[in-house]
Amino acid sequence: MLKYLLKRFFWMIPLVIGISLISFFIMHLAPGDITTSEASFNPKASEESRQKLRELYSLDKPVIVQYGLWVKRMATLDFGTSFASHQRPVFWQTKDKDGNITLGMIQEALPITLLINVLSLVLIIGVALPLGVISALKQNQLTDRGITLFVFIGFAIPGFWLALMLMYWTGVQHSWLPISGLESMGHEHLPWFSRLIDTLKHLALPVFISGLTGLAGISLFVRNGMLEVLHQDYITTARAKGLNENRVVYGHALRNALLPLITIFGLSIPGLIGGSVIAESIFAIPGMGKLFYDAVLMRDFPVIMGILTIGAVLTLIGNLLADLAYAWADPRVRRGVMQ
Amino acid sequence: MLNKLHQYNLKNIALITLISLFISACGDSSSNQAVNNIDYSKNYPASNGGTLIDAMTGEPSGLIAMIAGESAASAIASNIFNSLLKYDKNLDLTGELAQSWEVSSDQKTITFHLKPNLKWADNQALTSDDVLFTWQKVTDEKTRTPYGSDFKLVTKAEAPDANTFRVTYAAPYAPALDTWAGLHILPKHLLKDQDINTTAFARHPVGSHYYKLDSWKNGQYLKLTRNESATQGQAKIDNLLSRIIPDKAAQFLELSADNIDSMGLNPIQYARIFPARPDLNKNIALYKELGNSYTYLGFNLKRKPFDDIRVRQAINYAINKQEIIDGVLLGLGEPVASPYKPGTRWSNAALKPYPYDPNKAKALLKAAGYEDHDGDGFIDKDGKPFSFEILTNQNKEREMTGVLIQRRLKDVGINANIRVLEWASFLGRFIKPKEFDVVVLGWSLSLDPDQYSIWHSSQQAPGQFNFISYSNPRVDKLLEAGRLELNPEKRMTIYHEFSKILLEDSPIVFLSAGYGLSAIHKRVRGISDPAPPAGIGHNTYEWNIPSAYARSEISEH
Amino acid sequence: MKKVLRNPLALIGFLIIAGILFLALIAPFIAPYDPDAINVKAILLSPSAQHLMGTDGLGRDVFTRMLYGSRISLMVGFVAVGIATAIGIVLGAIAGFYRGWVDTVIMRVVDVMLSIPTFFLILAVIAFLTPSIWNIMIVIGLTSWMGVTRLVRAEFLSLRNREFVLAAQALGAKDSRLIFTHLLPNSLTPIIVSSILGIASAVLVESGLSFLGLGVQAPQASWGNILTDGKEYIQFAWWLSLFPGLAILITVLGYNLLGDGLRDAYNPRTSQR
Repeated sequence: MLKYLLKRFFWMIPLVIGISLISFFIMHLAPGDITTSEASFNPKASEESRQKLRELYSLDKPVIVQYGLWVKRMATLDFGTSFASHQRPVFWQTKDKDGNITLGMIQEALPITLLINVLSLVLIIGVALPLGVISALKQNQLTDRGITLFVFIGFAIPGFWLALMLMYWTGVQHSWLPISGLESMGHEHLPWFSRLIDTLKHLALPVFISGLTGLAGISLFVRNGMLEVLHQDYITTARAKGLNENRVVYGHALRNALLPLITIFGLSIPGLIGGSVIAESIFAIPGMGKLFYDAVLMRDFPVIMGILTIGAVLTLIGNLLADLAYAWADPRVRRGVMQ
Repeated sequence: MLNKLHQYNLKNIALITLISLFISACGDSSSNQAVNNIDYSKNYPASNGGTLIDAMTGEPSGLIAMIAGESAASAIASNIFNSLLKYDKNLDLTGELAQSWEVSSDQKTITFHLKPNLKWADNQALTSDDVLFTWQKVTDEKTRTPYGSDFKLVTKAEAPDANTFRVTYAAPYAPALDTWAGLHILPKHLLKDQDINTTAFARHPVGSHYYKLDSWKNGQYLKLTRNESATQGQAKIDNLLSRIIPDKAAQFLELSADNIDSMGLNPIQYARIFPARPDLNKNIALYKELGNSYTYLGFNLKRKPFDDIRVRQAINYAINKQEIIDGVLLGLGEPVASPYKPGTRWSNAALKPYPYDPNKAKALLKAAGYEDHDGDGFIDKDGKPFSFEILTNQNKEREMTGVLIQRRLKDVGINANIRVLEWASFLGRFIKPKEFDVVVLGWSLSLDPDQYSIWHSSQQAPGQFNFISYSNPRVDKLLEAGRLELNPEKRMTIYHEFSKILLEDSPIVFLSAGYGLSAIHKRVRGISDPAPPAGIGHNTYEWNIPSAYARSEISEH
Repeated sequence: MKKVLRNPLALIGFLIIAGILFLALIAPFIAPYDPDAINVKAILLSPSAQHLMGTDGLGRDVFTRMLYGSRISLMVGFVAVGIATAIGIVLGAIAGFYRGWVDTVIMRVVDVMLSIPTFFLILAVIAFLTPSIWNIMIVIGLTSWMGVTRLVRAEFLSLRNREFVLAAQALGAKDSRLIFTHLLPNSLTPIIVSSILGIASAVLVESGLSFLGLGVQAPQASWGNILTDGKEYIQFAWWLSLFPGLAILITVLGYNLLGDGLRDAYNPRTSQR
């Protein structure tokens, strides 16, 4: 196991180098720089102050020097401060000489995005698992078709359109749910339980929308996994031995069908960390997606690169954990690698 | 058997959900139960209290306006900080922190006398030392502000006593007072040991105006609360809450659900949606005011054939400006013939826009050598058809304007294509390197008539504002003279003359000036309607929310 | 194919796609108006006999714009997926056929690309390159080839040691011949399935980009930007968002149903015995 872990760990080094190159390359695709942001197109702004900005951000240094500085930053997880957002630290909080703490942008946005995505993942699993199992058991019957149709509609509906209709329906017509934002006015004065309820109400629609999109993938995965397992010899054997059908399905088939889900979760980590730009924009949620989108429009390079890198590194770690979990759960994998 | 039932259910649920969504989300909302039935037409005496909630699409980067630069920042900062001077409701300069000011006889020195006993929100005294400090900061080389150049013209600034601040310019500078009306005075006692570019003060500001920052939740809202030691008296509304809602459609939903009190509207919402929605009109009042900006079509004068005045004038005649005002602004705009707000003293009332006259356009084009020689419906010269690209940024109204212009140009045989671009690439890739034929854009103007940076021939370097490369010695002279002339009457003559030349030269086609349209909940009282020249925002401190109409501070949802 | 169409959902998907492709093809012949024809006197008319899907904020006929928009939206899907599939086949074939260090390098690149949120990558690149229909197609293509690469590689790895391949190799067949006549044709089904599903995703990505202002730029019509135009009037001019929304929904659904049906039919393990 240790050997597997080490080997798996060393695999990550070339990946990190690749990520550093890609993020750096993206930055240099851009023709403009900080001085192209909207703020600078003002009749009172003068060219000399633009030039000053450019120098202060060392955008004038040669590319190779800039890359060197970039790798150094990645290694120390120091992504500097935002161009556009009054020098807020990109990643983690800093303290100035007077003891004022300025929170990092990713530090603030990541928990929000993770919360939403973990909730929607829970929703997806909660709904997709039973749907997938039912689909597999009723293969090619109407139930199966109905479920397939339903999950595909969820995938195919443009998210922001559905979101706006739901906001109108549940927020304007019926005031069942808040329309946008994370907290109500006066949230901080509420007792903790009402605060929790308030937050959950605000998160209900965003979680629903992002969950609906992901439903199709997981439920079909479970369905096909189940079918594959159900057609395998040991299940036939188990059935032939006269085992109770429920035990066959839930004890043997489901367990084996679920195993590959671990890998799927590993793959869904970029989405978990990246969040949804569209949902966060429409619901006014200050998560990673919104942060990244704003940074792109403002050409706020430290933030863009910080998010791409931190996101990618967290994904690698997540994948590593998923692989380890898989190896732990399925001894064949471990042995296969060690041979 | 059970299965059969189950199957149908699932399918049906999916279908029914979808259908009911469409019906309920798209249908009319007469069955709307959410909006309470309060009668907002009653009269109440102005009272203190309440919270005004509005929405903005972007978050300010900080609240030191000279560093932040974006409009969201100055909108909020102007409730927190004072300037020496301000514009009153008729757009005349009056004192804010300054009680009075005088200009020396050589017109190079301005002396400001501060009001007595001014205080910061933390109860420290506000003195001329703070003003001097602010000037030092805005002109400091290390300060990353785009606003320094005006203040660098000051050769000497001094604070002879606690209530006096004096600045001396090398030459008379007419826009000077306007620049002092735009500079927020910052507290020296809190900032003297700080790096103004990075200081935490930008997120924990202390000012002297009606409000102070109560809390700022990143990405969610900024809450201002009344400043008890405000220098200008007390505002009536207790709290101003600005929510950050990036999507305009979501903002409108929040307004409909009575979760925000005010937002800016587009012409369709103002002229079409509101009249058709009595439920909205019952609770929300609409306001319109002529903004200080105009839309134009600008030529790249460095490119042929736009260097030919006949071509520019022909295009000017070919464009139907009234059609743009009617079609794009739904009538909520005014024609413009000069780069000044119609109705103000700087705007030359004798000037009229080029009338819509396609025949005259064709004649001018013919004089410039453009005719349909090959009979393909498009005019050409030396075998090359007259064809170009109209660039604009992502702005629904500008894009629609472009589409209307495109059609009118087609009528006179010009083949124009439209290209719409995201703002940052638009500026970086096309405007700065001057890689464009024709643009549809807008200018927002300061209240001072000086437009040196837009029209003077020295302002053509990449990234400067004269990106259309306009160069006219007569205009240069007038712009220079206008900066030196302090007598308003003489200044007016100068700028009227400047506008006249500009219109004739047609380096840009003036298209329209749109009204600023806003919706404000009827619970908010004290708003001037119709709006005075300075706009409805000139007296926000008098706005009030009668306690009977205030929403509960802790809302249920 | 027959087997596929026996699956009612796949049949529905097939019919939807065929119908929409047909409409897109004949758009200029059946469109009642010019897609760019403005009529400031007919702004925001609700659906009627003259304007089947109403008119937009400039008085343009929504039905006509939907027809022309279908061409753009489908083209984005096809070209983007074409690019992704081409890259995927080449890289996957090389990795799966030659194995060894080439395989390692290619698969590491795939891993790197997969570890960055794809939509972020698309967003950043499109914004920096300036949004245009060509950039959008290319960028979606360049960021979605990883799945196909893995797929083709896996197929090749499993086919590589089959008797018929080994036999051909023993007979002295050249690498290119092996790849093109033996390996590739036998891996075609999963490639087609993933392409069909890819088109659906590309259509959705384009509409998402339009929402963010980085999609196909006006005045060119795509379903994504018609829908985005309509979103601010969702409570008032419902026709502006309902029709493009439904069109995207139905099209994406169609591709998914067909793709899924195909996959089911050709997967020996999950298909019904």
